[in-house]
Amino acid sequence: MDMHSFINFFLLPGIVQGSIYALGAIGITLVFAIMRYGHFAHGDLATFGAFIALAFTTVLGLSPYAALPLAVLATGVFAVALDRLFYAHLRAMPKIITTIASFGVALMLRSFVQVVWGVNTTSYTRGITRPENWFGIRVKSHEIVTLLVAIALVVALHLFLTRNKWGKAMRAMSDNPELALFSGVDNGKVIALTWIIAGGLCAASGFFLGLNTELKSLMGWNILLPTFAAAILGGVGRIEGAIVGGLIVGIAEELSVLVIPGEYKVMSAFGILLLVLLFRPTGLFRGKVL
Amino acid sequence: MKTKHLGLASLLLGASALATPALADVNIGLLNGITGGAAAMAPEITKSLQFAVDQINEQGGVLQGEKLVGIMADDGCSPQVAADAATKLVNVSQVIGVVGPLCSGALMAAVNSATIPAGVILISQAATSPEITTLKDNDLVFRTIPSDEYQGQALARTLLDRGTKKVAVSFINNDYGKGIAEAFKKEYEAKGGEIAGYEAHEENKSSYRADLAGLAQGGADTLVLLDYGDTSGLTVLREAIENGFFEKFVGAEGMKTSAPVKAIGADNLTTFMASAPVSTKSEALDIFNKAFAEAGGDINASYVGPSYDAVFLLALAIEKAGGDKSKLSESLRAVSNGEGEPILPGEWKKAKELITAGKAIDYKGASGELNFDANGDVPGSYALFKVAGDDWAVETEMK
Repeated sequence: MDMHSFINFFLLPGIVQGSIYALGAIGITLVFAIMRYGHFAHGDLATFGAFIALAFTTVLGLSPYAALPLAVLATGVFAVALDRLFYAHLRAMPKIITTIASFGVALMLRSFVQVVWGVNTTSYTRGITRPENWFGIRVKSHEIVTLLVAIALVVALHLFLTRNKWGKAMRAMSDNPELALFSGVDNGKVIALTWIIAGGLCAASGFFLGLNTELKSLMGWNILLPTFAAAILGGVGRIEGAIVGGLIVGIAEELSVLVIPGEYKVMSAFGILLLVLLFRPTGLFRGKVL
Repeated sequence: MKTKHLGLASLLLGASALATPALADVNIGLLNGITGGAAAMAPEITKSLQFAVDQINEQGGVLQGEKLVGIMADDGCSPQVAADAATKLVNVSQVIGVVGPLCSGALMAAVNSATIPAGVILISQAATSPEITTLKDNDLVFRTIPSDEYQGQALARTLLDRGTKKVAVSFINNDYGKGIAEAFKKEYEAKGGEIAGYEAHEENKSSYRADLAGLAQGGADTLVLLDYGDTSGLTVLREAIENGFFEKFVGAEGMKTSAPVKAIGADNLTTFMASAPVSTKSEALDIFNKAFAEAGGDINASYVGPSYDAVFLLALAIEKAGGDKSKLSESLRAVSNGEGEPILPGEWKKAKELITAGKAIDYKGASGELNFDANGDVPGSYALFKVAGDDWAVETEMK
């Protein structure tokens, strides 16, 4: 196999897939950093975001790319509402209760999508897009957009967390909620902010998954496990860990086909996860222990 | 206060007296793939199932005039969901028999975890895996759809006849995909074809380019894609066309859905064909088609005939067995073994009278003669379809 087909068919799909996982994993990691529980409705929230974008394209007649920011915003606000409705009153209880509640929310979200948009597979645009050829590297325009937007979102998030007052408050609360509270950080506002960011990134990951493949009600649920694997692999609670973890999981899945049969693709990501947990239980970037 | 309680008590008493029906209903389970990989087929199948139940009830119901009630449950086309749904039907709804599920993997889980242990008969109208033939089922699992053993072989012969001597095979990693792929491979190689790449892929991944690149290395220009058109089959097909891995594509009935045509567009699918079971021309089929069309159904939809037949046969077996659950398998074979007064679709009243009179009957279904073999299977006939406009049209018959 030559270099070009290695990049075209193995590396590039892995990177695209990895950045989709990374966007989801950042959300999972943020929720864990601030609120200390695993949020299992994350996959279905991504499905919801993807279908909200579909609604903007069909109802308002927008192009998918124009629908993306609207869907990100809408899903962010929706995530805050979910938190107020289902998670807020569980805050003082053991975290496992909220984790289990998030499973229930996942089922509700999925059923909601199925009731509103139906159970059939659909897509943002009809037809196919053949990849463009850049000196032998074949890449589709929406793959480039996926990568660019993912990078932009990550950079924006990094700047927000390091430069902005509220971003610093989020980090403070992640380090020590009580201390942050005594220093005058409004925990309620930080939690709402976390949900806006996590929900928005979630919608972006769902949107790009739908753009690169198809939209279906189980799409988010199907990427939940690799997304979680990515978050844990990088170190839970560490943004940079989630990004690296996402890329590793995505690329490992695609490259594994070179050595093991395709039906065991999923296994490769978990194999890596297992090794990391064995030899470095806190994840690559020394995150919080689950 | 006391009078209030008394009043309430008498009200409850009255309500419960009203609620007790004169005759109990006969419950049958309908496992249907409303969500998941077969979702696109489910709406018309649902119509067909309900149509059969309604027709039977209009013509006098079952046994002593009891109503036949179809309790629908979603099998999600997945083993886990199907096992839960079947367990609920068997234990909570107390069904006497089950029609469905649509997917082979779902069927395996449903029968092994729920229906066979409970001694409940199950007739599937769409699960086609050859694995089901060899299932240890205590004669409780039947099908009104032929096994893919036949379809895989017919597809292999048809491709060779059309001059395709070299193919790559990509199939979904479940009972359906594995079953039909193995049948295809065996026959194709035995008849002199070359398999240049043969690999399973996991469902629900978002990219299959790495898998496809591996398959394309064999140098075949035709990809035989044995998958569902609503899930990974669509993704694989799209990526194969976009990246030019293969020129021609051949699927089986799982791919013959509206989803690829809608998502990829007919103009991009000129080299895509799919095989599917077809009902042989018969008086029974004409009668069913006319009645089903009048009831608002789409007669060209997949599995509507076998679905109707499955419900009708189950009802005939219940009637014949006098509602005795343990005699259902025996009765099912008795009402459709090629001997006795022919019964056509819709002739419930006639069948009921003959059974009451103790005469032998033989159901001739919309999907064929339906004479079950020792494994509960039926033989079938197939055609190769191509995309025409926004729908599918027969390209050639398959032998």
